[in-house]
Amino acid sequence: MKNPYEVLGLKEGASIEEIKKAYRELVKKYHPDRYMDNPLSDLAEEKLREINEAYDYLIKNANNNQRQQQYQRQQQQQQQYQRQQQSQGTGSGYYGGYSDNSRLVYQIKMLIQNGNFAQAQRLLDSMPVRDATWNYLQGLLFLRRGWYDRANVHLQRAVQMDPGNMEYRDALSRVNTQFNAYRYNPNYYRGGYHQGPDMCSVCTTLWCADSLCECCGGDLIACC
Amino acid sequence: MFGYITPDKPDLKICEFEVFRGYYCGVCKTIAKKAGHRGRIVLSYDCAFLALLIDSLDKAPVSGKHRRCLVHPLNKRYIVDSNFAVEYASDINILLAYYNLKDKWQDEKRLIGPAGMAVLKKGYRRVKRKYPDLVNAVEEELNNLKELEKRNCDSIDEACEPFARLMQSIFLYASDCENIGKVLGWVGYNLGKWIYLLDAYDDIEDNVKSRSYNPLTVQFGYDDGEGVESFRERIREKTEFVLVYSLSELEKAFSLLDIKKNKSILENIIYRGLLIKTRNVLQMGADCHEKSL
Repeated sequence: MKNPYEVLGLKEGASIEEIKKAYRELVKKYHPDRYMDNPLSDLAEEKLREINEAYDYLIKNANNNQRQQQYQRQQQQQQQYQRQQQSQGTGSGYYGGYSDNSRLVYQIKMLIQNGNFAQAQRLLDSMPVRDATWNYLQGLLFLRRGWYDRANVHLQRAVQMDPGNMEYRDALSRVNTQFNAYRYNPNYYRGGYHQGPDMCSVCTTLWCADSLCECCGGDLIACC
Repeated sequence: MFGYITPDKPDLKICEFEVFRGYYCGVCKTIAKKAGHRGRIVLSYDCAFLALLIDSLDKAPVSGKHRRCLVHPLNKRYIVDSNFAVEYASDINILLAYYNLKDKWQDEKRLIGPAGMAVLKKGYRRVKRKYPDLVNAVEEELNNLKELEKRNCDSIDEACEPFARLMQSIFLYASDCENIGKVLGWVGYNLGKWIYLLDAYDDIEDNVKSRSYNPLTVQFGYDDGEGVESFRERIREKTEFVLVYSLSELEKAFSLLDIKKNKSILENIIYRGLLIKTRNVLQMGADCHEKSL
């Protein structure tokens, strides 16, 4: 096992609070939802497992009592994740049992998941109708292979054609969330040089402050 | 390449900037060794980034010295010692510069092509011997790119594909480990896509004037009556989506890398530098917090 402190990006001997904080941030960073449409999702999962192990180990050594809480929480998380998986499973199962077309949909989903794009594309091309489902699958496929412009077009079309379908809506909103999360990332909007006030607003502020002081009988800038 | 990958300099600490420049100088020095001093002119920031990223996966501390060099004889500068990453990045720089010059000669008959190729010929042959598979993959993608341009491809995703895959191969080759290679490959793919598309947006005006191929003018149907400015305006949002989404995928891959050093410099480039460059090229003035005085 790797050094658990290193895995969590902490110095050795970090406090429980620090460990928890680092853990929460890392879980957010490597959460399966964030890597859902990404070809590296298996590696993200592995990383998360490592983080969970490291956290578990540190907390176990730090405090038995707290460890139990953590364990419960982790189990809850796991259950939640499983439930999510199941609901997704039933989502595709819902197509599953009914007709040939639904079996095809499931098959295409699995092919995309496993990175077999050529085969998935062939099956998609063979589908007779270009309905909402088809657009949705084509969108997912393009997203995975890095064709974001077309992916976006197809996902939007899927939602337009079947506005009530939550699965399609989720996929489209994931794309938008990811776009905005990076565009407005805290590192970029941390402020500093690029967000500093310009000369004009500095002068205006000073002038206002001076006027206010003068109203009250004082003076901030003596020359005006 | 194109030199779009730069850090957000005001947000770097001075020592961080020195290290970044140290990699840049390190690559430059290695190119001089491989292709002669005249070969130095082909140096680009993109390859400095490649050297920085690959070297940061190695846990040995950064090693370098303050030295004088031919280009800056007056001041001593920090130069990173040659290592695997720096060597690799300079090989790639020579390779891509060679193809770029060849392209210039074939397309525009500019004399800088054969002149530069003569300078780089020896270095290029050496790289070709060193990485035969990679060079084959790169040449294949360049041929695909040519073919796309010839048939006036009308999809930006499709047009970006060859260059993105070319970059994917280059990044993937830098690591022996399969998993790391896969992650690096995805960094490269999205970086390539971003570079190609950003360059296309940047070149709209020139391409319209010279009537040469540009995927954006074809996909979004540029019409001479419309004017370049309003066309750029019209496609800005759509282009931004693809550019920023590519960067967000790049960021995800980057998060999975085990970065052993230089983390703050890399994060500066990935979370700030690339976004600022995107906005500058797209001329999203009001939104980019770079108010002028």
